Amino acid sequence: MTPRRQEILDYLLQKMSELTQDWDYPDPVRPESLLFSELGFESLDAVVLCTAIQEHYRTAMPFAELLAEIGQQQRDLSIDELVTFVDTHLNGQTHNGHPHPMSVSRQVQ
Amino acid sequence: MSIKTLFIGLDGATFSVLDPLIQEGVMPYLQSFFAEGVRAGLRTIVPPLTPPAWTSLMTGRTPGNHGVFDFFRMDSPTTRHIRFFNSNDVQCETIWTLASSGGLRTTTINFPAMFPPPHISGYVVPGWVPWKQLRLACWPEGLFEKLKAIPGFNQRELAMDIKMEEKATEGISNHVELGPWIELHTRREQNLFQVLRHLSQEDPSELTAVLFDGVDKLQHLCWRFLRPEDDKPLTEEWEHQIRQLCLQYFCSMDNLIRQLCELAGPEATVVLGSDHGFGPTYDVLHLNTWLEQHGYLAWSDAAHSRDSEGALLGVGQVAKHTWLMDWNKTKAFATTPTSNGIYVVVSDGTSPGVPAAEYPAFIRKLSDELRTIPDLQTGQPLVTEIYTRDEAFRGPHSSAAPDLTLVLRDGGLVSILPSPTAVSKRPVVSGSHRHVGIFGAKGPGIRKGFLANELSILDVAPTVLYSLGLPVPEDLQGRVPLEIYQDGVLEKHPIRRTAAGSTGSDGRTGSAESVPAEMEDEETVLERLRELGYIE
Repeated sequence: MTPRRQEILDYLLQKMSELTQDWDYPDPVRPESLLFSELGFESLDAVVLCTAIQEHYRTAMPFAELLAEIGQQQRDLSIDELVTFVDTHLNGQTHNGHPHPMSVSRQVQ
Repeated sequence: MSIKTLFIGLDGATFSVLDPLIQEGVMPYLQSFFAEGVRAGLRTIVPPLTPPAWTSLMTGRTPGNHGVFDFFRMDSPTTRHIRFFNSNDVQCETIWTLASSGGLRTTTINFPAMFPPPHISGYVVPGWVPWKQLRLACWPEGLFEKLKAIPGFNQRELAMDIKMEEKATEGISNHVELGPWIELHTRREQNLFQVLRHLSQEDPSELTAVLFDGVDKLQHLCWRFLRPEDDKPLTEEWEHQIRQLCLQYFCSMDNLIRQLCELAGPEATVVLGSDHGFGPTYDVLHLNTWLEQHGYLAWSDAAHSRDSEGALLGVGQVAKHTWLMDWNKTKAFATTPTSNGIYVVVSDGTSPGVPAAEYPAFIRKLSDELRTIPDLQTGQPLVTEIYTRDEAFRGPHSSAAPDLTLVLRDGGLVSILPSPTAVSKRPVVSGSHRHVGIFGAKGPGIRKGFLANELSILDVAPTVLYSLGLPVPEDLQGRVPLEIYQDGVLEKHPIRRTAAGSTGSDGRTGSAESVPAEMEDEETVLERLRELGYIE
């Protein structure tokens, strides 16, 4: 049985909270938190996180394309967008009508 | 339980650096290590690059058989997207999984291609993982919390700091930055040692292994300080200070090797190894620029319109090539600066690229033209060897490998970024990879003070398995080097073989029973080695 969007969000927020504790990151991680400009991710951080997500859900997802598109547009990625991406590839569709992250463009600050 | 076999990896270690340091008294323990054991050159695979080479050492298989070719890979021949390599790319057993399924515990620290970590019996602290993600990467669950409790534990210095890596590969030109960077690596190796010591004292593993990768990094950036004879003499005070910091790094490394050997105890077999050697490099081949100049590649508008400078290593540049190139006009390209590999765009009949029927002729023409690139200094060919995919990577997983792999005259790595010229001179000499690294071993049954002929990196896995008393799978491509053992050892402890793909001596995962080696073959080899004077 595939996880619901809320379960994916909970999983990612929990993982990110554990990780940010190790970095002494002072603020709570929220769905709107941006991986690169707020949480200080480098591209390889994103690669490792995405690999861990694939391992957790035991499903290959086209993260390489997502990260390439982010790099090309020099935009950021929120936790919420990442959840939508995972949800789309696990469940085939979004549960709440969120736009697919590939269609969202946001400049890195 | 105690350590039965200790493997110490020294990334990029080479005798051309270590021997002078031994002679200068910087590494006295290493000198005694070789006096008490065996030393040999260790020939690596093509390309002499960290991910495929360490994977070959860990698996005893060539890249075409284990599936790792570079830091990055394409998931299929048709995609343009590349991703960072990971442990799922390793398509065969490793010494870690073989030991684990043979009923032994393994502790492995800082090796590449270990994330996601294999669920082995023991501990895994993977290498090449950014420090912010180290928690996700350790095995078993809860290990990271144990590590955090070690006094002085510093995850930022223990794992990879991407910003620091990129800074290093872009070049650090003065002692103001270089000195602290060297000291960081000295501390980092000590951190790795402390993790290993803690785990070994709390809960030892029969197979214990650690990889120190600062050797490679220092040699890349500090070659002229380590071997001034390969460049101009050191004259400035700060240059001598940097050399002193380099010597302190190696002195500290020597001390860590001593402590590791003491930790393992006299009954343990200790194996030293590097994934490749090192030497000086003077030129840079801007490979994609050369391909453009010869009509094989076209840059996109984006390549001209935005800042395309970036890290040599490319970790911050994942998939940048996907928009730097005009795919309607590109027939051959290099995706990474690390593997010296060229990929050919093969048309499926409707897409742009080289028609499949013309592929062999295209490869020949491209190779012939690459061989004419002159070295700036001598005019001699800069590209000395070119391997086709089949020549370099034959095996069931070769489809992800580059179509061509280049070896440059000075062992250097290519640049993939746009450049005004196809070949340029480095401002100062750097270190670059070579094909022969180091091997050393000491312990019960191993000859003392013996200089062996060159071994293969593929020999390390069977040697480690033999030292653990485990059977050696038949599909390993290396051999147990019989010549490094004292008289009578092999007769008393014959090498046991097991069927290809099987692992266990206890039957938990193995599919076949262990069988003694063919004694006739073994005896023939022993006789040959006696004739050569390797054994008496």
